[in-house]
Amino acid sequence: MITLQSLNKAEAVRYLGGAGVAPNDAMNALLDDCERELLSVIDAKYLYRVIDLPCGELTQGQDIKKHLAGCQRAAVLCATLGAGVDRLLRVSQIADMSRAVVLNSLAAAAIEQVCDEAERLIAERVSEPYFTFRFSPGYGDYPLDTQKRLLRLLDAPRKIGLSLNDSLLLTPVKSVTAVIGLSDQPIPRGKRGCAICSLRETCAYRRKGTHCGFENTAE
Amino acid sequence: MDLKTLLNNKEFVILDGAMGTLIQKSGAAYEHSPETLNLTRPELIESFHRAYVEAGSDVIYTNTFGANAYKLAESGCTVEQIITAAVRNAKKAAEGTDTLVALDIGPVGMLLEPAGSLRFEQAYDYFKEQILAGREADLIVFETMTDLFELKAAVLAAKENSELPILATMTFERNGRTFTGVSPAAAALTLSGLGVDAVGVNCSLGPDELESVVAEMTRYTDLPLIIKANAGLPDPNSNEYNILPGQFAECVASLLPYGVKFVGGCCGTTPDYIREIRRVLADKAYIPCPRTAGAAVCSANTVVEIDGPRIIGERINPTGKKIFKQALVDNNIDYILNQALVQIQGGAELLDVNVGHPEIDEKKMMTRVVGAIQSVCDAPLQIDSTKPEVLEVGLRRYNGKPIVNSVNGEEKSLAAVLPLVKKYGAAVVGLTLDEGGIPSTAEGRFAIAERIVSRATALGIDKRDIYIDCLTLTVSAEQDACRETLKALHRVKTELGCKTVLGVSNISFGLPDRGLVNRTFLTMALEQGLDLPIMNPNIAPMTGAVRAYRVLAGIDRNANEFIAAYQDAPETQAPAAQTQTETDVVTAVRSGLQSEGAAAVERLLQTEDAMTIINEKLIPALDKVGEDFENNKIFLPQLIQSANTAQACFNVIKEHLSKTGSENVSKGKIILATVKGDIHDIGKNIVKTLLDNYGYTVVDLGRDVDPQIIVDTAVEQHITMVGLSALMTTTLKSMEDTIALLRATKALQNPDGSSKVTVFVGGAVLTKDYAMKIGADYYCRDAKESVDTAKLVLG
Repeated sequence: MITLQSLNKAEAVRYLGGAGVAPNDAMNALLDDCERELLSVIDAKYLYRVIDLPCGELTQGQDIKKHLAGCQRAAVLCATLGAGVDRLLRVSQIADMSRAVVLNSLAAAAIEQVCDEAERLIAERVSEPYFTFRFSPGYGDYPLDTQKRLLRLLDAPRKIGLSLNDSLLLTPVKSVTAVIGLSDQPIPRGKRGCAICSLRETCAYRRKGTHCGFENTAE
Repeated sequence: MDLKTLLNNKEFVILDGAMGTLIQKSGAAYEHSPETLNLTRPELIESFHRAYVEAGSDVIYTNTFGANAYKLAESGCTVEQIITAAVRNAKKAAEGTDTLVALDIGPVGMLLEPAGSLRFEQAYDYFKEQILAGREADLIVFETMTDLFELKAAVLAAKENSELPILATMTFERNGRTFTGVSPAAAALTLSGLGVDAVGVNCSLGPDELESVVAEMTRYTDLPLIIKANAGLPDPNSNEYNILPGQFAECVASLLPYGVKFVGGCCGTTPDYIREIRRVLADKAYIPCPRTAGAAVCSANTVVEIDGPRIIGERINPTGKKIFKQALVDNNIDYILNQALVQIQGGAELLDVNVGHPEIDEKKMMTRVVGAIQSVCDAPLQIDSTKPEVLEVGLRRYNGKPIVNSVNGEEKSLAAVLPLVKKYGAAVVGLTLDEGGIPSTAEGRFAIAERIVSRATALGIDKRDIYIDCLTLTVSAEQDACRETLKALHRVKTELGCKTVLGVSNISFGLPDRGLVNRTFLTMALEQGLDLPIMNPNIAPMTGAVRAYRVLAGIDRNANEFIAAYQDAPETQAPAAQTQTETDVVTAVRSGLQSEGAAAVERLLQTEDAMTIINEKLIPALDKVGEDFENNKIFLPQLIQSANTAQACFNVIKEHLSKTGSENVSKGKIILATVKGDIHDIGKNIVKTLLDNYGYTVVDLGRDVDPQIIVDTAVEQHITMVGLSALMTTTLKSMEDTIALLRATKALQNPDGSSKVTVFVGGAVLTKDYAMKIGADYYCRDAKESVDTAKLVLG
């Protein structure tokens, strides 16, 4: 269980597009109101397990291997905002689409906050001082169907109600699976951001000259 | 030995403990799933079972928790192989004893609609396969369920493919709900209705934390309860559970007053726990605990007890409603969902759902609408149709315990409807009419009510679940009929002891000030004992009358609900002070002010032509907003608010035109769908909102849509523009397949073989090149571009 006190509205605003202008009063009021509503239904849960590397089953593809290079162990993580958020998003799409997009963006920010907090809690419990960033199935050539094995390893359907559908989408929708490399030595900073992103060519943020929030360290 | 004999012979039925824990402790290696050990290490599994038999289990669960076709897909084994072996292993261990073997079935492992994309019928088929494979077992156990709808699919699969007794247990979190929000009350009510043999809780927490769950369950069922709790919580480092066998057994024993008959253990428990349970229960007696809750219906997460007047919203019904009928023809589910949400806001606690219309397939529509309403709304539903086959699909696809509207005293109706009510565990509205029509006297109607009750109870339907409708007749036609209705209602309530239901607005047909007549009649009926008025909850004085009655009759204690509903409302119904400044329509659209925009259009319509307003005011205003959005001057929600304001303006114009009988303002029909396999539909819904607001008629087929449905809709409704959305790389293939099918369909081709259909596509992972490669005509990177494309193609 992770409890969020507030949501990262600046991040949500970035997801909403409109780069370059500050939200006006009405927009800020809408954000505040949606934040309150979302906080009341978020039921954030996470699971993790530390595995020894190499682990062939969970590290298929070149990009994940590069990502974990130099790490002796990895933390396998999954997190979800719970089914109530999905439901709220469905209802708001019927009742008021403008609220729905705000709620959707705030929820996207929220799940990242939950992952940050989960990562902090993991850091308290493992001996390694150095972490890579969170690498998720679907990044680069890391196969999406790794999620299946990952959720099974964590017993996620049973323990936190997180499962996959036939098309490998996580349900509840506002959920994340990720692998974090752990090391006793400082880890050379990997490429995080546009360079490895599979949405590189279509990204709405890139079109607008910004980025999605991943620090862009691509050379 | 069978379960029935066991229940009769023994004070308690001792179940087994965990299988997974023993497998883990043994260190036995398996690939993919522990169920494969049934084949690879049969002697090991048999030894675990035997350990439980020797510890005193009366029932042992087969090692088949995840043995379904989905979870076994990568194991190389079939469901039949695993389950046959598993039952054989358990039977061997039980040989020579009275121990029964339960076929153990857990969740499929994918979420059902609406949260996930697994369809009810697919879930049913997975369970059916397991049940058929496990036919040699002595009973069936469904456990660790978190979705009541999935459990319903499982129970129906068992009931329809096997004669074995059924135990059903769900897993609750510390907040007293399952992951999907199911309450213990809703689980108990629904599962008792479906005819399982016992209900309860497994896994979840330790027995020390389950008292509130079992206490709530037992209020809503006469069935014996099952407890198969975890051995407390696992230590995150050692994975050891924190409740020891003796303490576990004492905890469970403390829950016996709630009607617990079946006791075992889940994660972390071992034969030692079972031995302790056996020892502690040896000198105890089963304490039957009959249901104390009165009449009640539920969705998966909301129980509504009929312990005073509750409003049934009547608005989801096309009778006499032109727009509603059109929505049905156009498959405009959002319109219906909106009706549901608005009625709940108005004060309805239950919703009647009637989708009967000669131009549509009522069965299909009922299935779709019930699912869709339940995906956004917690209120229990009343499935309303004159056709038993429509009632049945509605009942089947309903998650919870619904009401059937209705049965009547005709032999044909009784014979067709009551068995459905029994099978699906619903409540039912009984209309006091029969082959002879509606009796004119209260005595005649009472006699029919008695007949309905006696026929229903003979089938095993609980009297609590029969709600009698004494029928409202039009007072302007038959003035004395009102008195007879009320008299009959009073007798049904006091002499038969049934709950009562009544549609109230029929009373006033043909009279002026119908609202006044309706409200007065409603109040009179409430005083005679009406429990469930079927009415429009959005007429404030009607809902107000029910709320006020609840205060005056002493039901709403301390007027808490009344105060909550009205404390912020103005004292009188006088219209709110008008703002003096009148906003013009362009400003209203650009600022997203819906009511101001509508008012401005009302004023304009007095002097200007509708099409001029649309083309010279609304569309240019929207275009300007769209441009601002493209130039990063405003945010997406603001664009949508503007679009919604334009929609409000269009609605005013449409209404105006329908009154004057002028031309249709629709600029053309467009199909929208999120492709098969994809459940992310917010992008598609944004496109829909904008297209709607630019005056196009959108036929929204929803998400995860089969290509054939898209093609069929295009053919049937002669639609030549189709928008498809896909968010995932994994579902782009579905998009390609859908386009291919559209292109290949003869009915959608010109004489020269070219396609009549214009396809535009969008979604995060698409590129223009890819869109062209899979045969789309247009790639739209956002909602605004979709509108531009529609303008280009349809004008």
